[in-house]
Amino acid sequence: MRSISIALAVARKDLTSEWRTRELVPALAQFVVLALVIANFGFQFDSRNAPAIAPGVLWMVLVFAGLVAFGRAFAAEREQASLEAMLMTPAAPAAIFAGKALAAGLLLVICEAVLLPALALFFGVPLSFDVVSAVLLATVGMAVLGCLFAAMVARVRARELLLPVLTLPLWIPFMVVGGQAVQTAMGGGGGTGQATGLLLDLDILFVVLTSLAARFVLDD
Amino acid sequence: MSAVIATELTQRFGSELALDSVDLAIDGGEHLAVLGENGAGKTTLLRILATAARPTSGRLEIFGLDAMIERRRLRARIGFVAHAPGLYPALSAAENLAFFCTLQGAARARVAEVLDLVGLTDIAGRPAGKLSRGAQQRLAIGRAVLHDPRLLVLDEPDASLDSDGADLLARVMRGRTAIIATHDHALANRLCQRSLVLRRGRVVGVPTRLRVVH
Repeated sequence: MRSISIALAVARKDLTSEWRTRELVPALAQFVVLALVIANFGFQFDSRNAPAIAPGVLWMVLVFAGLVAFGRAFAAEREQASLEAMLMTPAAPAAIFAGKALAAGLLLVICEAVLLPALALFFGVPLSFDVVSAVLLATVGMAVLGCLFAAMVARVRARELLLPVLTLPLWIPFMVVGGQAVQTAMGGGGGTGQATGLLLDLDILFVVLTSLAARFVLDD
Repeated sequence: MSAVIATELTQRFGSELALDSVDLAIDGGEHLAVLGENGAGKTTLLRILATAARPTSGRLEIFGLDAMIERRRLRARIGFVAHAPGLYPALSAAENLAFFCTLQGAARARVAEVLDLVGLTDIAGRPAGKLSRGAQQRLAIGRAVLHDPRLLVLDEPDASLDSDGADLLARVMRGRTAIIATHDHALANRLCQRSLVLRRGRVVGVPTRLRVVH
């Protein structure tokens, strides 16, 4: 119970700070729209091949937006020397990590709320429950992995370079499975259940692994 | 009984020896000043004593617990004021303390008590980022005593404090074991019973008993 209240307090603190400073979300939303505009002009697509191109654009934009969102989660703490103050309390590092990942994940979900309708508008693809659920499930796993590596590289000078190098290989399963689910859903075909189930399995696996690793990453 | 017993604490950063076999014993309720020039190893020593850093070698026992193993248990009994205040600039002074109350497992009522203790009640609603450096330091000191720690480790807390700062430090150190790093010998003389001088990571001479002027 105490770990849950700590995680919620950390997430609330991060979301309150973002709400008051508006440092990240407006910039990310702007990036998302600009990336879609560029993709809209860059690809030759029509109503037949749009469902094949749009999922690729969706995941590319999501990956880059995620790298920025998760990278900031710990970089800001290190810059203001507040991470040490948090770790100097008896709070479990896993709870602190969970709160950070929850807040970063929610900020990415806000960007997805801009990304998905804009994608449907620019590419003329349908937005269904299957598309939204695949993106949200992938966000969970991406958030925990992204935040773990962001915590790891936060004290390194070349963190902007290291974060993608470490994170992207582990995000590939989410891209592959999520991409399949979104492509199937946008193509009007059913049967995304297996991909959704696999995304859920990946989420559980990485949430457990990152929670165990958080202690070693954060505590020293 | 000794509250802190350090045996041959050594800290290396690469080839640099920041702390060289420091032995130390501090009694419960005692106030110790750590003096020395810049780069003498004061911050390194204090970070180890606050369990914020692990030494390369040596033993550290705090309140009878091995500080290398029982770090999380000990952190509930230690208050640490580091060089940087480490506050959340977008949150108000009261919100900063309330957040750390949750992390420390302290009662919310402590927020008002601590704001009063450090003299920030009037500006409790102001964002921490908009406070003066001195007020931020007061808030950091307040955060360190939020959970009523038995051991207080203060790394140059007087650096940004105004003329009332010494009174504030005396108030928060009262009834606690305290270790304070400072360049101000007069402050050390006023607040502490003993002082220890570091030079190039080594303790110079034996810890000196200070004349306490309360």
